Amino acid sequence: MKFVNLIIAEAKMLIWTLRRYLFNTMMGFGVMFLIFMGMFWGLKTIGGSGVTDDSLDSMLVGYVLWVSAMLAIQNTGNEITSESRMGTLEQLYLSPIGADKIFFVKAVINMAFNFVFITVMLYLSMAATGRWMNVNLPYLYGMVLLSTLSLVGISFMMGGIGLIHKRINSVNGILAFGLIGLMLLPTYPITPYAFLPFVAGAAAVRNSIVRGHVYPIWWYLFVAGNSLLYLMLGLFVFAKMEKKARRLNKMGQY
Amino acid sequence: MSQTCIRVKELVKTYKDLTAVNRMSFDVRTGEILGILGPNGSGKTTTLKSILGIIEFDEGSIEVNGLSVKGRRKEVLKDMGAILEGARNIYWHLSPRENLTYFSGIRGIPQKTISGRIDYLLESLELSDVADKEVRQFSSGMKQKCALACAFIYNPSILLLDEPTLGLDVEISRTIRNWLLNVVEKEGKTILITSHNMDFIESICDRILIIRRGEIISHETVASLKEKFARKYFRIDLESEPQNSLLDTIATLGSVSATGSSVRVELESANHLIPLMKVLEEADIRMLDFQTVENDLEDIFLEVIREEEE
Repeated sequence: MKFVNLIIAEAKMLIWTLRRYLFNTMMGFGVMFLIFMGMFWGLKTIGGSGVTDDSLDSMLVGYVLWVSAMLAIQNTGNEITSESRMGTLEQLYLSPIGADKIFFVKAVINMAFNFVFITVMLYLSMAATGRWMNVNLPYLYGMVLLSTLSLVGISFMMGGIGLIHKRINSVNGILAFGLIGLMLLPTYPITPYAFLPFVAGAAAVRNSIVRGHVYPIWWYLFVAGNSLLYLMLGLFVFAKMEKKARRLNKMGQY
Repeated sequence: MSQTCIRVKELVKTYKDLTAVNRMSFDVRTGEILGILGPNGSGKTTTLKSILGIIEFDEGSIEVNGLSVKGRRKEVLKDMGAILEGARNIYWHLSPRENLTYFSGIRGIPQKTISGRIDYLLESLELSDVADKEVRQFSSGMKQKCALACAFIYNPSILLLDEPTLGLDVEISRTIRNWLLNVVEKEGKTILITSHNMDFIESICDRILIIRRGEIISHETVASLKEKFARKYFRIDLESEPQNSLLDTIATLGSVSATGSSVRVELESANHLIPLMKVLEEADIRMLDFQTVENDLEDIFLEVIREEEE
Protein backbone atom coordinates (compact mmCIF):
# COMPACT_ATOMS: atom_id res chain seq x y z
CA MET A 1 0.00 0.00 0.00
CA LYS A 2 2.87 2.36 0.79
CA PHE A 3 4.25 1.76 -2.68
CA VAL A 4 0.85 2.57 -4.23
CA ASN A 5 0.77 5.86 -2.32
CA LEU A 6 4.26 6.62 -3.58
CA ILE A 7 3.13 5.96 -7.17
CA ILE A 8 0.09 8.24 -6.69
CA ALA A 9 2.32 10.98 -5.22
CA GLU A 10 4.75 10.79 -8.15
CA ALA A 11 1.92 10.76 -10.72
CA LYS A 12 0.43 13.84 -9.07
CA MET A 13 3.84 15.54 -9.04
CA LEU A 14 4.13 14.95 -12.79
CA ILE A 15 0.65 16.38 -13.45
CA TRP A 16 1.22 19.40 -11.19
CA THR A 17 4.56 20.10 -12.88
CA LEU A 18 3.13 19.80 -16.41
CA ARG A 19 0.27 22.09 -15.44
CA ARG A 20 2.53 24.63 -13.72
CA TYR A 21 4.85 24.83 -16.71
CA LEU A 22 1.97 24.78 -19.17
CA PHE A 23 3.75 26.83 -21.82
CA ASN A 24 6.70 24.43 -21.86
CA THR A 25 4.32 21.45 -21.94
CA MET A 26 2.39 22.90 -24.88
CA MET A 27 5.60 23.70 -26.72
CA GLY A 28 6.76 20.11 -26.17
CA PHE A 29 3.50 18.83 -27.67
CA GLY A 30 3.81 21.29 -30.54
CA VAL A 31 7.39 20.35 -31.43
CA MET A 32 6.63 16.63 -31.27
CA PHE A 33 3.53 17.12 -33.46
CA LEU A 34 5.55 19.04 -36.03
CA ILE A 35 8.25 16.35 -36.14
CA PHE A 36 5.68 13.59 -36.76
CA MET A 37 3.86 15.71 -39.34
CA GLY A 38 7.16 16.39 -41.04
CA MET A 39 7.93 12.70 -41.22
CA PHE A 40 4.51 11.64 -42.52
CA TRP A 41 3.89 14.37 -44.97
CA GLY A 42 6.97 16.47 -45.55
CA LEU A 43 9.38 13.67 -46.39
CA LYS A 44 6.88 12.05 -48.73
CA THR A 45 6.48 15.34 -50.57
CA ILE A 46 10.14 16.32 -50.66
CA GLY A 47 11.52 12.81 -51.22
CA GLY A 48 9.04 12.06 -53.97
CA SER A 49 9.13 8.54 -55.43
CA GLY A 50 12.47 7.81 -53.73
CA VAL A 51 10.71 7.48 -50.36
CA THR A 52 8.78 4.23 -50.09
CA ASP A 53 6.06 3.48 -47.53
CA ASP A 54 8.33 0.88 -45.91
CA SER A 55 11.23 3.24 -45.49
CA LEU A 56 8.93 5.87 -44.02
CA ASP A 57 7.49 3.35 -41.57
CA SER A 58 11.00 2.22 -40.69
CA MET A 59 12.04 5.78 -39.96
CA LEU A 60 8.98 6.41 -37.81
CA VAL A 61 9.54 3.24 -35.81
CA GLY A 62 13.16 4.23 -35.40
CA TYR A 63 12.12 7.67 -34.24
CA VAL A 64 9.66 6.30 -31.65
CA LEU A 65 12.35 3.92 -30.42
CA TRP A 66 14.96 6.64 -30.23
CA VAL A 67 12.74 9.16 -28.40
CA SER A 68 11.61 6.53 -25.89
CA ALA A 69 15.19 5.37 -25.36
CA MET A 70 16.55 8.88 -25.01
CA LEU A 71 13.93 9.87 -22.44
CA ALA A 72 14.54 6.65 -20.50
CA ILE A 73 18.32 6.96 -20.43
CA GLN A 74 18.30 10.59 -19.29
CA ASN A 75 15.56 10.26 -16.71
CA THR A 76 17.20 9.46 -13.37
CA GLY A 77 20.33 11.50 -14.05
CA ASN A 78 18.24 14.55 -14.92
CA GLU A 79 15.95 14.02 -11.92
CA ILE A 80 18.92 13.87 -9.53
CA THR A 81 20.55 16.95 -11.04
CA SER A 82 17.26 18.81 -10.85
CA GLU A 83 16.44 17.77 -7.25
CA SER A 84 19.97 18.59 -6.18
CA ARG A 85 19.81 22.03 -7.79
CA MET A 86 16.47 22.81 -6.16
CA GLY A 87 17.66 21.64 -2.73
CA THR A 88 15.05 18.89 -2.34
CA LEU A 89 17.30 15.85 -2.90
CA GLU A 90 18.06 15.34 0.78
CA GLN A 91 14.34 15.39 1.59
CA LEU A 92 13.85 12.41 -0.75
CA TYR A 93 16.56 10.63 1.22
CA LEU A 94 14.56 11.15 4.40
CA SER A 95 11.78 8.92 3.14
CA PRO A 96 11.73 5.53 4.87
CA ILE A 97 10.62 3.99 1.57
CA GLY A 98 14.07 4.76 0.13
CA ALA A 99 15.28 7.19 -2.50
CA ASP A 100 16.14 4.36 -4.93
CA LYS A 101 12.49 3.29 -4.99
CA ILE A 102 11.36 6.91 -5.36
CA PHE A 103 13.61 7.38 -8.39
CA PHE A 104 12.50 4.06 -9.87
CA VAL A 105 8.85 5.08 -9.57
CA LYS A 106 9.70 8.48 -11.10
CA ALA A 107 11.34 6.67 -14.05
CA VAL A 108 8.36 4.35 -14.58
CA ILE A 109 5.83 7.19 -14.35
CA ASN A 110 7.84 9.30 -16.79
CA MET A 111 8.13 6.36 -19.19
CA ALA A 112 4.39 5.75 -19.03
CA PHE A 113 3.72 9.42 -19.70
CA ASN A 114 6.15 9.46 -22.62
CA PHE A 115 4.43 6.43 -24.17
CA VAL A 116 1.04 8.11 -23.96
CA PHE A 117 2.53 11.35 -25.29
CA ILE A 118 4.20 9.70 -28.29
CA THR A 119 1.10 7.61 -29.10
CA VAL A 120 -1.17 10.66 -29.05
CA MET A 121 1.24 12.52 -31.29
CA LEU A 122 1.54 9.57 -33.67
CA TYR A 123 -2.23 9.19 -34.07
CA LEU A 124 -2.84 12.93 -34.31
CA SER A 125 -0.27 13.17 -37.07
CA MET A 126 -1.73 10.16 -38.92
CA ALA A 127 -5.21 11.69 -38.67
CA ALA A 128 -3.95 15.09 -39.79
CA THR A 129 -2.10 13.73 -42.84
CA GLY A 130 -4.56 10.97 -43.67
CA ARG A 131 -1.65 8.56 -44.05
CA TRP A 132 -2.18 5.59 -41.74
CA MET A 133 0.87 3.59 -40.81
CA ASN A 134 0.78 -0.18 -40.89
CA VAL A 135 2.26 -0.72 -37.42
CA ASN A 136 1.34 -3.14 -34.66
CA LEU A 137 1.41 -0.58 -31.84
CA PRO A 138 0.87 -2.97 -28.88
CA TYR A 139 3.84 -5.00 -30.12
CA LEU A 140 5.90 -1.85 -30.66
CA TYR A 141 5.24 -0.49 -27.18
CA GLY A 142 5.56 -3.87 -25.50
CA MET A 143 8.99 -4.29 -27.01
CA VAL A 144 10.01 -0.70 -26.34
CA LEU A 145 9.03 -1.14 -22.70
CA LEU A 146 10.89 -4.43 -22.43
CA SER A 147 14.08 -3.14 -23.98
CA THR A 148 14.13 0.35 -22.46
CA LEU A 149 14.21 -1.20 -18.98
CA SER A 150 17.91 -1.81 -19.68
CA LEU A 151 18.27 1.91 -20.30
CA VAL A 152 16.54 2.67 -17.00
CA GLY A 153 19.41 0.68 -15.49
CA ILE A 154 21.95 2.83 -17.38
CA SER A 155 19.99 5.87 -16.25
CA PHE A 156 20.40 4.76 -12.63
CA MET A 157 24.15 4.43 -13.19
CA MET A 158 24.16 7.99 -14.53
CA GLY A 159 22.03 9.06 -11.56
CA GLY A 160 24.60 7.54 -9.19
CA ILE A 161 27.35 9.49 -10.93
CA GLY A 162 25.10 12.56 -10.73
CA LEU A 163 24.93 12.20 -6.93
CA ILE A 164 28.69 12.72 -6.77
CA HIS A 165 29.37 15.01 -9.72
CA LYS A 166 25.98 16.80 -9.97
CA ARG A 167 26.28 18.07 -13.55
CA ILE A 168 26.14 15.21 -16.03
CA ASN A 169 24.20 16.87 -18.85
CA SER A 170 27.05 16.56 -21.34
CA VAL A 171 27.38 12.81 -20.72
CA ASN A 172 23.62 12.46 -21.06
CA GLY A 173 23.79 14.21 -24.42
CA ILE A 174 26.52 11.87 -25.66
CA LEU A 175 24.52 8.84 -24.53
CA ALA A 176 21.39 10.07 -26.28
CA PHE A 177 23.13 10.40 -29.63
CA GLY A 178 25.16 7.24 -29.09
CA LEU A 179 21.83 5.43 -28.99
CA ILE A 180 21.27 6.14 -32.69
CA GLY A 181 24.39 4.14 -33.49
CA LEU A 182 23.41 1.35 -31.10
CA MET A 183 20.02 0.98 -32.73
CA LEU A 184 21.60 0.18 -36.10
CA LEU A 185 23.93 -2.60 -34.91
CA PRO A 186 23.28 -6.16 -36.18
CA THR A 187 22.28 -8.58 -33.42
CA TYR A 188 20.53 -11.66 -34.83
CA PRO A 189 20.94 -14.65 -34.65
CA ILE A 190 23.44 -13.63 -31.97
CA THR A 191 26.36 -11.22 -32.18
CA PRO A 192 28.43 -9.60 -29.42
CA TYR A 193 26.39 -6.41 -29.96
CA ALA A 194 23.29 -8.20 -28.72
CA PHE A 195 24.75 -8.13 -25.21
CA LEU A 196 24.79 -4.35 -25.17
CA PRO A 197 21.79 -2.64 -23.53
CA PHE A 198 18.72 -1.95 -25.70
CA VAL A 199 20.35 -3.11 -28.98
CA ALA A 200 18.68 -6.55 -29.24
CA GLY A 201 15.21 -5.18 -28.45
CA ALA A 202 15.54 -2.26 -30.84
CA ALA A 203 16.65 -4.51 -33.70
CA ALA A 204 13.77 -6.91 -33.03
CA VAL A 205 11.22 -4.10 -33.17
CA ARG A 206 12.63 -2.67 -36.38
CA ASN A 207 12.91 -6.00 -38.20
CA SER A 208 9.53 -7.33 -37.01
CA ILE A 209 7.50 -4.27 -37.82
CA VAL A 210 9.13 -3.09 -41.01
CA ARG A 211 10.48 -6.30 -42.54
CA GLY A 212 8.01 -8.74 -41.04
CA HIS A 213 10.75 -10.84 -39.46
CA VAL A 214 9.46 -13.46 -36.97
CA TYR A 215 11.65 -14.08 -33.94
CA PRO A 216 11.66 -17.25 -31.83
CA ILE A 217 10.53 -17.06 -28.19
CA TRP A 218 14.08 -17.53 -26.85
CA TRP A 219 15.02 -14.22 -28.49
CA TYR A 220 12.38 -12.37 -26.50
CA LEU A 221 13.55 -14.11 -23.36
CA PHE A 222 17.08 -13.00 -24.22
CA VAL A 223 15.89 -9.39 -24.61
CA ALA A 224 14.06 -9.60 -21.25
CA GLY A 225 17.12 -11.12 -19.56
CA ASN A 226 19.37 -8.47 -21.05
CA SER A 227 17.08 -5.70 -19.78
CA LEU A 228 16.80 -7.21 -16.33
CA LEU A 229 20.55 -7.64 -16.07
CA TYR A 230 21.27 -4.00 -16.94
CA LEU A 231 18.49 -2.82 -14.63
CA MET A 232 19.94 -4.78 -11.71
CA LEU A 233 23.44 -3.58 -12.57
CA GLY A 234 22.20 0.02 -12.68
CA LEU A 235 20.52 -0.29 -9.28
CA PHE A 236 23.68 -1.87 -7.85
CA VAL A 237 25.91 0.92 -9.15
CA PHE A 238 23.41 3.51 -7.88
CA ALA A 239 23.49 1.97 -4.39
CA LYS A 240 27.30 2.00 -4.40
CA MET A 241 27.46 5.63 -5.55
CA GLU A 242 24.82 6.62 -3.01
CA LYS A 243 26.98 5.12 -0.27
CA LYS A 244 29.97 7.02 -1.58
CA ALA A 245 27.95 10.26 -1.72
CA ARG A 246 26.95 9.72 1.92
CA ARG A 247 30.55 9.11 2.91
CA LEU A 248 31.74 12.26 1.12
CA ASN A 249 28.75 14.40 2.19
CA LYS A 250 27.84 15.08 -1.44
CA MET A 251 24.13 14.51 -1.13
CA GLY A 252 22.95 18.08 -0.83
CA GLN A 253 25.70 20.02 -2.51
CA TYR A 254 25.14 21.34 -6.00
CA MET B 1 13.44 12.19 34.20
CA SER B 2 12.70 12.02 30.47
CA GLN B 3 13.90 9.17 28.32
CA THR B 4 16.81 9.55 25.95
CA CYS B 5 15.59 9.50 22.35
CA ILE B 6 18.84 10.34 20.55
CA ARG B 7 22.16 8.99 21.79
CA VAL B 8 25.33 10.08 20.04
CA LYS B 9 28.44 8.28 21.24
CA GLU B 10 32.06 8.97 20.29
CA LEU B 11 31.00 10.23 16.85
CA VAL B 12 33.85 10.76 14.39
CA LYS B 13 33.61 12.06 10.83
CA THR B 14 36.59 13.01 8.71
CA TYR B 15 36.88 14.32 5.16
CA LYS B 16 40.38 13.52 3.89
CA ASP B 17 42.62 15.53 6.26
CA LEU B 18 39.82 17.45 7.96
CA THR B 19 38.19 16.13 11.11
CA ALA B 20 34.67 17.57 11.00
CA VAL B 21 33.44 15.78 14.13
CA ASN B 22 35.85 14.50 16.74
CA ARG B 23 34.62 12.01 19.35
CA MET B 24 31.41 13.84 20.05
CA SER B 25 29.01 12.36 22.60
CA PHE B 26 25.67 13.71 23.77
CA ASP B 27 22.09 12.68 24.47
CA VAL B 28 18.81 14.32 23.54
CA ARG B 29 15.90 13.68 25.88
CA THR B 30 12.34 13.15 24.77
CA GLY B 31 10.38 16.41 24.75
CA GLU B 32 13.33 18.77 24.99
CA ILE B 33 14.75 21.35 22.62
CA LEU B 34 18.50 21.04 22.33
CA GLY B 35 20.44 23.78 20.56
CA ILE B 36 23.78 23.35 18.86
CA LEU B 37 25.87 26.48 18.61
CA GLY B 38 29.20 26.82 16.90
CA PRO B 39 31.14 28.91 14.41
CA ASN B 40 30.91 28.11 10.70
CA GLY B 41 32.56 24.79 9.92
CA SER B 42 32.42 23.58 13.51
CA GLY B 43 30.54 20.37 12.62
CA LYS B 44 26.92 21.31 13.43
CA THR B 45 25.40 20.28 10.11
CA THR B 46 27.61 17.20 9.83
CA THR B 47 26.31 16.08 13.22
CA LEU B 48 22.68 16.62 12.21
CA LYS B 49 23.11 14.84 8.88
CA SER B 50 24.89 11.95 10.59
CA ILE B 51 21.89 11.50 12.88
CA LEU B 52 19.65 11.39 9.80
CA GLY B 53 21.98 8.94 8.05
CA ILE B 54 22.51 11.32 5.13
CA ILE B 55 26.20 11.37 6.01
CA GLU B 56 27.99 8.11 6.75
CA PHE B 57 30.14 8.62 9.83
CA ASP B 58 33.48 6.87 10.38
CA GLU B 59 33.42 5.88 14.05
CA GLY B 60 31.11 5.88 17.03
CA SER B 61 27.41 5.14 17.18
CA ILE B 62 24.11 6.97 16.91
CA GLU B 63 20.89 5.54 18.28
CA VAL B 64 17.44 7.01 17.77
CA ASN B 65 14.70 5.56 19.95
CA GLY B 66 17.07 2.68 20.68
CA LEU B 67 17.65 1.89 16.98
CA SER B 68 21.05 2.19 15.34
CA VAL B 69 21.12 4.76 12.53
CA LYS B 70 23.74 2.69 10.69
CA GLY B 71 21.89 -0.59 10.78
CA ARG B 72 18.23 0.43 10.79
CA ARG B 73 18.14 3.79 9.04
CA LYS B 74 14.79 3.33 7.33
CA GLU B 75 13.06 2.45 10.60
CA VAL B 76 14.74 5.40 12.31
CA LEU B 77 13.49 7.76 9.59
CA LYS B 78 9.87 6.82 10.23
CA ASP B 79 9.91 9.01 13.31
CA MET B 80 12.17 11.87 12.19
CA GLY B 81 11.64 15.00 10.15
CA ALA B 82 14.16 17.64 9.14
CA ILE B 83 14.79 20.96 7.49
CA LEU B 84 18.31 20.98 6.11
CA GLU B 85 18.48 23.63 3.45
CA GLY B 86 15.87 26.01 4.77
CA ALA B 87 13.15 27.00 2.35
CA ARG B 88 15.02 25.26 -0.50
CA ASN B 89 13.80 21.97 0.98
CA ILE B 90 10.44 22.37 -0.73
CA TYR B 91 9.25 22.59 -4.34
CA TRP B 92 8.79 26.23 -5.24
CA HIS B 93 6.72 25.48 -8.34
CA LEU B 94 4.08 23.75 -6.21
CA SER B 95 1.63 25.19 -3.69
CA PRO B 96 1.94 24.50 0.07
CA ARG B 97 -0.94 22.01 -0.16
CA GLU B 98 0.70 20.19 -3.07
CA ASN B 99 4.04 20.12 -1.25
CA LEU B 100 2.43 18.67 1.85
CA THR B 101 0.53 16.06 -0.19
CA TYR B 102 3.69 15.07 -2.06
CA PHE B 103 5.93 14.79 1.00
CA SER B 104 3.40 12.59 2.80
CA GLY B 105 2.93 10.51 -0.36
CA ILE B 106 6.63 9.71 -0.78
CA ARG B 107 6.56 8.37 2.76
CA GLY B 108 3.73 6.06 1.76
CA ILE B 109 1.02 7.95 3.65
CA PRO B 110 -2.33 8.11 1.80
CA GLN B 111 -3.80 11.55 1.18
CA LYS B 112 -7.14 10.53 2.71
CA THR B 113 -5.59 10.08 6.15
CA ILE B 114 -3.44 13.19 5.95
CA SER B 115 -5.88 15.85 4.69
CA GLY B 116 -6.91 16.85 8.24
CA ARG B 117 -3.29 17.31 9.25
CA ILE B 118 -2.59 19.35 6.11
CA ASP B 119 -5.42 21.74 7.05
CA TYR B 120 -4.22 21.90 10.67
CA LEU B 121 -0.64 22.74 9.68
CA LEU B 122 -1.71 25.31 7.09
CA GLU B 123 -3.95 27.00 9.60
CA SER B 124 -1.57 26.93 12.56
CA LEU B 125 1.24 28.36 10.43
CA GLU B 126 -1.08 30.99 8.93
CA LEU B 127 -0.76 29.61 5.41
CA SER B 128 -4.43 28.78 4.77
CA ASP B 129 -5.02 31.86 2.61
CA VAL B 130 -2.13 30.97 0.32
CA ALA B 131 -2.53 27.20 0.47
CA ASP B 132 -3.10 26.89 -3.28
CA LYS B 133 -0.67 29.55 -4.46
CA GLU B 134 2.76 28.83 -5.88
CA VAL B 135 5.47 28.88 -3.18
CA ARG B 136 7.74 30.78 -5.59
CA GLN B 137 5.62 33.91 -4.98
CA PHE B 138 6.10 33.81 -1.20
CA SER B 139 8.38 35.84 1.04
CA SER B 140 11.34 34.03 2.69
CA GLY B 141 9.40 33.75 5.94
CA MET B 142 6.38 32.14 4.32
CA LYS B 143 8.59 29.73 2.40
CA GLN B 144 10.28 28.76 5.65
CA LYS B 145 6.93 28.21 7.34
CA CYS B 146 5.93 25.98 4.43
CA ALA B 147 9.18 23.98 4.81
CA LEU B 148 8.41 23.64 8.51
CA ALA B 149 4.92 22.32 7.74
CA CYS B 150 6.42 19.77 5.32
CA ALA B 151 8.87 18.55 7.97
CA PHE B 152 5.93 18.07 10.38
CA ILE B 153 3.45 16.58 7.91
CA TYR B 154 3.86 12.93 8.88
CA ASN B 155 3.83 13.84 12.55
CA PRO B 156 7.32 12.67 13.53
CA SER B 157 8.22 12.87 17.19
CA ILE B 158 11.79 14.08 16.47
CA LEU B 159 12.66 17.15 14.41
CA LEU B 160 16.11 18.21 13.29
CA LEU B 161 16.23 21.82 12.16
CA ASP B 162 19.36 23.29 10.59
CA GLU B 163 19.31 27.08 10.76
CA PRO B 164 15.50 27.42 10.66
CA THR B 165 15.57 31.20 11.02
CA LEU B 166 18.46 32.00 8.67
CA GLY B 167 17.73 35.21 6.79
CA LEU B 168 14.36 35.78 8.43
CA ASP B 169 13.19 38.97 10.11
CA VAL B 170 12.49 39.26 13.82
CA GLU B 171 8.73 38.89 13.47
CA ILE B 172 8.83 35.67 11.46
CA SER B 173 11.55 34.26 13.73
CA ARG B 174 9.29 34.95 16.68
CA THR B 175 6.29 33.32 14.98
CA ILE B 176 8.36 30.21 14.24
CA ARG B 177 9.72 30.14 17.79
CA ASN B 178 6.24 30.38 19.32
CA TRP B 179 4.92 27.72 16.97
CA LEU B 180 7.74 25.32 17.85
CA LEU B 181 7.34 25.93 21.57
CA ASN B 182 3.63 25.25 21.26
CA VAL B 183 4.25 22.01 19.36
CA VAL B 184 6.76 20.81 21.94
CA GLU B 185 4.41 21.63 24.79
CA LYS B 186 1.24 20.20 23.26
CA GLU B 187 2.57 17.29 21.22
CA GLY B 188 5.71 16.43 23.19
CA LYS B 189 8.02 16.70 20.20
CA THR B 190 11.79 16.57 20.56
CA ILE B 191 13.77 19.16 18.62
CA LEU B 192 17.45 19.38 17.82
CA ILE B 193 18.25 22.76 16.37
CA THR B 194 21.26 24.64 15.03
CA SER B 195 21.22 28.39 14.59
CA HIS B 196 23.37 31.48 14.54
CA ASN B 197 20.44 33.46 15.92
CA MET B 198 21.39 33.69 19.59
CA ASP B 199 18.16 35.31 20.72
CA PHE B 200 16.22 32.53 19.03
CA ILE B 201 18.35 29.80 20.63
CA GLU B 202 18.24 31.47 24.04
CA SER B 203 14.48 31.77 23.98
CA ILE B 204 13.67 28.30 22.72
CA CYS B 205 16.29 25.81 23.95
CA ASP B 206 16.38 23.88 27.21
CA ARG B 207 20.02 22.94 26.80
CA ILE B 208 22.82 24.15 24.56
CA LEU B 209 25.83 22.39 23.10
CA ILE B 210 28.63 24.69 22.05
CA ILE B 211 30.92 23.01 19.59
CA ARG B 212 34.13 24.05 17.96
CA ARG B 213 36.27 22.17 15.45
CA GLY B 214 34.05 19.14 15.85
CA GLU B 215 34.34 18.95 19.63
CA ILE B 216 31.89 19.83 22.38
CA ILE B 217 33.34 22.61 24.51
CA SER B 218 30.25 23.31 26.59
CA HIS B 219 27.11 21.33 27.29
CA GLU B 220 24.75 23.00 29.74
CA THR B 221 21.27 24.35 30.26
CA VAL B 222 20.73 27.92 29.15
CA ALA B 223 20.20 28.97 32.78
CA SER B 224 23.41 27.39 34.10
CA LEU B 225 25.40 28.74 31.17
CA LYS B 226 24.17 32.24 31.91
CA GLU B 227 24.81 31.81 35.61
CA LYS B 228 28.31 30.50 35.02
CA PHE B 229 29.27 33.26 32.64
CA ALA B 230 27.21 36.05 34.18
CA ARG B 231 29.11 39.29 33.75
CA LYS B 232 28.27 42.92 33.84
CA TYR B 233 30.13 45.45 31.80
CA PHE B 234 29.86 49.10 30.90
CA ARG B 235 29.05 50.28 27.45
CA ILE B 236 30.20 53.83 26.88
CA ASP B 237 29.19 55.67 23.74
CA LEU B 238 31.59 58.50 22.95
CA GLU B 239 31.23 61.42 20.60
CA SER B 240 34.18 60.25 18.51
CA GLU B 241 36.45 57.24 18.23
CA PRO B 242 38.79 57.01 21.24
CA GLN B 243 42.55 57.26 20.73
CA ASN B 244 44.71 54.24 21.48
CA SER B 245 46.35 56.05 24.39
CA LEU B 246 42.94 56.41 26.09
CA LEU B 247 42.15 52.73 25.57
CA ASP B 248 45.59 51.79 26.98
CA THR B 249 44.88 53.83 30.12
CA ILE B 250 41.46 52.22 30.57
CA ALA B 251 43.07 48.80 30.09
CA THR B 252 44.93 49.30 33.38
CA LEU B 253 41.52 49.18 35.12
CA GLY B 254 40.05 46.18 33.32
CA SER B 255 39.47 44.64 29.93
CA VAL B 256 38.51 47.04 27.19
CA SER B 257 37.43 46.80 23.58
CA ALA B 258 36.12 49.39 21.18
CA THR B 259 33.90 49.26 18.12
CA GLY B 260 33.92 52.64 16.48
CA SER B 261 32.99 55.18 19.12
CA SER B 262 31.42 52.57 21.40
CA VAL B 263 33.68 51.28 24.17
CA ARG B 264 33.07 48.17 26.21
CA VAL B 265 34.76 48.07 29.62
CA GLU B 266 34.77 45.23 32.11
CA LEU B 267 36.32 46.48 35.33
CA GLU B 268 38.49 44.23 37.46
CA SER B 269 36.88 45.65 40.56
CA ALA B 270 33.98 47.93 41.42
CA ASN B 271 36.55 50.25 43.02
CA HIS B 272 37.81 51.07 39.57
CA LEU B 273 34.62 52.85 38.60
CA ILE B 274 35.62 56.26 39.91
CA PRO B 275 39.12 56.09 38.36
CA LEU B 276 37.42 55.17 35.04
CA MET B 277 35.26 58.27 35.25
CA LYS B 278 38.33 60.35 35.98
CA VAL B 279 40.21 58.94 32.98
CA LEU B 280 37.30 59.75 30.72
CA GLU B 281 36.98 63.24 32.10
CA GLU B 282 40.69 63.92 31.66
CA ALA B 283 40.59 62.63 28.10
CA ASP B 284 38.36 65.56 27.28
CA ILE B 285 36.05 63.50 25.13
CA ARG B 286 32.27 63.87 25.32
CA MET B 287 30.27 60.92 26.61
CA LEU B 288 26.92 60.38 24.88
CA ASP B 289 25.77 57.40 26.89
CA PHE B 290 26.97 55.25 29.78
CA GLN B 291 25.16 52.07 30.72
CA THR B 292 25.56 48.81 32.58
CA VAL B 293 24.93 45.79 30.39
CA GLU B 294 24.53 42.15 31.33
CA ASN B 295 26.15 39.76 28.90
CA ASP B 296 23.76 37.84 26.67
CA LEU B 297 24.12 34.45 25.04
CA GLU B 298 26.13 35.94 22.20
CA ASP B 299 28.69 37.30 24.68
CA ILE B 300 28.74 33.98 26.48
CA PHE B 301 29.21 32.09 23.23
CA LEU B 302 32.11 34.30 22.23
CA GLU B 303 33.63 33.99 25.69
CA VAL B 304 33.41 30.19 25.66
CA ILE B 305 34.99 30.09 22.22
CA ARG B 306 37.71 32.55 23.30
CA GLU B 307 38.48 30.57 26.46
CA GLU B 308 38.80 27.42 24.41
CA GLU B 309 41.19 29.12 22.00
CA GLU B 310 43.37 30.31 24.88
